[in-house]
Amino acid sequence: MNSFTKPKLKKYEKVQFDDKLTFGQRFKLKYINPYFLRNLLIKFFRFVFLVGISYIVLFPFITKISGSFMSITDFVDVQVKLIPKNFTLDTYKAIVLENKYWQALLNTSILSIGLGAIQMIVCALVGYGFSKFKFKGSSLLFLGVLLTMIIPHQTLQMSLFMKFRFFDIWGIGGLITSALGAKLPNLLGSAWPLIIMSATGLAFRNGLFIFVMRQFYRGIPDELEEAAYVDGAGPLRTFVQIILPLSIPMMVTIFMFAFSWQWSDTFYTNLFFSSSSNFILMPDIVKIPASLNSKGFVGQTAFETAINNTCGLLILLPLVVVYLFAQKTLIQGIERSGVTG
Amino acid sequence: MNKVAKPQQAAVKAVPAKKRKRTQSLNKKKERMGWLFVAPFAIGFILLYIPMVFESIKYSFEVTKNLPGGGIEQIFVGFQNYNYALLEDSSFTQTLITNLQQLVLDVPAIVIFSLFLAILLNQKMVGRAAFRAIFFIPVITATGIIESIELRNSLMNVIEQVGNLQSGTSEISTTSANDIISRVDVSRIFQGMQVGQELVGYVVSMVNNVYAIVNRSGVQMLIFLAGLQSISPSIYESCYIEGASAWETFWKITFPMISPMILVNAVYTIIDSFTRQSNTVMKYIDETMKGTYGANGYPHGTAMAWMYFLIVILIIALVAGLMSLYVFYQRKD
Repeated sequence: MNSFTKPKLKKYEKVQFDDKLTFGQRFKLKYINPYFLRNLLIKFFRFVFLVGISYIVLFPFITKISGSFMSITDFVDVQVKLIPKNFTLDTYKAIVLENKYWQALLNTSILSIGLGAIQMIVCALVGYGFSKFKFKGSSLLFLGVLLTMIIPHQTLQMSLFMKFRFFDIWGIGGLITSALGAKLPNLLGSAWPLIIMSATGLAFRNGLFIFVMRQFYRGIPDELEEAAYVDGAGPLRTFVQIILPLSIPMMVTIFMFAFSWQWSDTFYTNLFFSSSSNFILMPDIVKIPASLNSKGFVGQTAFETAINNTCGLLILLPLVVVYLFAQKTLIQGIERSGVTG
Repeated sequence: MNKVAKPQQAAVKAVPAKKRKRTQSLNKKKERMGWLFVAPFAIGFILLYIPMVFESIKYSFEVTKNLPGGGIEQIFVGFQNYNYALLEDSSFTQTLITNLQQLVLDVPAIVIFSLFLAILLNQKMVGRAAFRAIFFIPVITATGIIESIELRNSLMNVIEQVGNLQSGTSEISTTSANDIISRVDVSRIFQGMQVGQELVGYVVSMVNNVYAIVNRSGVQMLIFLAGLQSISPSIYESCYIEGASAWETFWKITFPMISPMILVNAVYTIIDSFTRQSNTVMKYIDETMKGTYGANGYPHGTAMAWMYFLIVILIIALVAGLMSLYVFYQRKD
């Protein structure tokens, strides 16, 4: 011990308690040494790298935003790159007014919030069931969860369509309706297919949510539940009163994913809502408004690209606002998830 | 003595019997509750999903025929659709093979890149929250609608460029992120040095695709971040005290500890890149289903989709099997 401390003490006296050091000497000792310089270099390059990647992520948005304010003459002007010469809001106005943006916003909000909430609750329940209860067939059923994750939903396109066009379960409904002389119910054009799929944990990437919830609940010690059982609570009450409050950050995360993926989904909405025109959703507003028709102009393609991009921006805008507010909880939830092994 | 001992024995016997019965019932109760919790999924899986999968497989063995009186007839044709996809359709196998090659290049790049970024974002620095917020934007935005808009735009640009080539007019600048990168000609610098051409080609293609890679590594980054957070800081502390450099710490501590996450992410990346809309095979199958390449598009498309799915399963099994040999688990249950 002594042999270690002695030289250190000497150094201490030399560097820190010597009042004779001038400012320049102190500066030299503190900042001009290999350790500090290397750290500075690493920090600098890290910062530059991260800024660069951020630029790559944000650049498409910047061009889209600048393009959305341009008028058609700006697209053929060679001088105009990012800052529009003829600043205009016509693109936004036309999309909002002619493509029924507000209606789409309202409908999509209701649909996404509702389905997000259903998926959140169902995935939490199922994930809890898989993590804390051992029952016969649980591993087999969990294999089913993984299967729903892996099978691409395009494979089931036609089956999905037919299933909800003539809604039937194992052919039983067909027997009943044919006996009564009625037709099988057509659920297309309503929100029912999506509600049914969300309530049964089969909607888009719900397998992933169930998996994540299961991993999260595995990290919660069993003693908590045992204490609740000893106090006389049943499993359901334990779940609602003990486990659910613990899993709020994780549930927010799941909700955010479900919400935003439902918000920007095109596959299911095109499949289930194609026949109805009165229920306008976000994918329906991506079209060229009649007043912005630019047929025959030189910059037509660029202009129409910009209009499509503006539609995309308008679709994303509410999502980004929600994301900015929920971002802290979201990342917390992800960090606490302990998705390990 | 006998008289006294008998009830005692009975009592001794009775107690464990009673206890066993009770524990059994508790276990049974828990089992029942387990089923209750997973009931939503179990019901949906058995009543909706399995029939749908079954029907979809059935479709792939059938051909639809329009009846003269109106209406549709399904005729069982065996493996005809599969034969068509493999032998007659000239582009399917080609698209599949190119796509698989692309995947072999993409998946390691995405996993490595997301691990690298997750490690960077896990360090303490100025503006960490802002960087995180920016890097997670693709998770929210790079799905469905935006992807379809981007596809539509690129299609329009291609049409326009073809038109320009024919009419000879100059090309109007397109705004894509790849533009910036292609300005810096990385490959030329390395070509001059004449070393490792293949590796340079790979790196250059990755650099050129950096926008796609960043966009596709959002969820993976989140999973890696969660994994990094779960590594105990005291391990790093002891490494630091022992005098290990950052490089050694990474390979000896971070890498083994994060290896389960690497497995998860590799599998997730494979699934994600196989099933996303912009995937060429997926696009081709979608077009086939819509009937772009002739009649009987749907059964052909379904047959292709199932074959594709089988290949995906095989690849995932292979990758997971190989990687799990090298994965290090901190605690074994």
